[in-house]
Amino acid sequence: MSYKPELSRNWWLKHHYYSRYMLREATVLPLLFFCGCLLGALFSLTQGEACWQQWLMFMRHPLVVALNLLALIASLYHAKTFFELFPRVMPIRIAGKTLPASLMIAAQWAGTVFTALLLLVIIGGMI
Amino acid sequence: MPARLLDVSVQRYRPELHSEPYVISYQVPYDDSTSVLDALNYIKEQLDGSLSYRWSCRMAICGSCGVMINGIPKLGCKTFLRDYPKGLLIEPLAHFAIEKDLIVDMSVFLQHLNAVKPYLIAGKDTPGDKPMKQTPAQMVKYQQFAGCINCGLCYSACPQFGLNPEFLGPAALTLAQRYNMDSRDAGTAQRMPQLNRPEGVWGCTFVGFCSTVCPKGVDPAAAVNQGKVASATDFVISMFRP
Repeated sequence: MSYKPELSRNWWLKHHYYSRYMLREATVLPLLFFCGCLLGALFSLTQGEACWQQWLMFMRHPLVVALNLLALIASLYHAKTFFELFPRVMPIRIAGKTLPASLMIAAQWAGTVFTALLLLVIIGGMI
Repeated sequence: MPARLLDVSVQRYRPELHSEPYVISYQVPYDDSTSVLDALNYIKEQLDGSLSYRWSCRMAICGSCGVMINGIPKLGCKTFLRDYPKGLLIEPLAHFAIEKDLIVDMSVFLQHLNAVKPYLIAGKDTPGDKPMKQTPAQMVKYQQFAGCINCGLCYSACPQFGLNPEFLGPAALTLAQRYNMDSRDAGTAQRMPQLNRPEGVWGCTFVGFCSTVCPKGVDPAAAVNQGKVASATDFVISMFRP
């Protein structure tokens, strides 16, 4: 008679590797809040100026600012883990040689910084 | 100089005597070259002949002596007592049913391996009686994934397999990818239905611990996730097929 151990609910606390994985997956939670804020902005735009001003007030609340800051940190952490996994999932081979992972990671960060700056210029230009 | 002694705890399970596993501690003499497998052999020969475990080559080739050491899947022959000055706990590989002591039932793993047809499948261009040539560039594409010794450590490291044993798991999906990437193989179409299933590549959430524990540097997490790219490509292509 064989014995089948059950996987406990706290399996992810038993090794820091699993805990880091769960942290990576949990980055979606503050990002959900951020997405909710964006959807709220769209909705308030359709409801007229008073509603929009209310939304602006809401966004200035220290707790909301803190949560959105957390969402920013979470998305940067998720980006870091994603960028590091990417060269293993889609290795690029040029002339028989695999592109070094460090180069691919650096290129992704460069792309992120470029896009962020571009958005800042576009949005900054509109204001 | 008297030999140093280390506290080696071993999880025991003797179904004829007990309904649940229990832990017994042994004092094992060791030096810098004593492996965990040496320690198990010492226990069996000198202290307790009833201890059961698997082993064969003692040089990380056969993949038989996989156990959990302080909760981490490792090969007994490739792990040394010198690295555990505070003692160690040896348990059977996680996520498998325990048959006796450190021996687990690996039949689920073998079924999953079998499901992905991990061998070269001939196609219409396969020369029947001539050697199948391959350039070094063609070989290097899959070479890393061909290093698997079927030890099963990656299955014990994978929480997705622990939660759902139907998940094909790291080694089987890696071998599927290894043969799909082989220029001599024509079996991709036969393997894709297995990979495309929710219990195929999509059951993986890239925890990545399988690659950390792999004793042969195969990087199964990379292979499985390259399989996701192949599966997605296969899906898109199938939409345009009549």
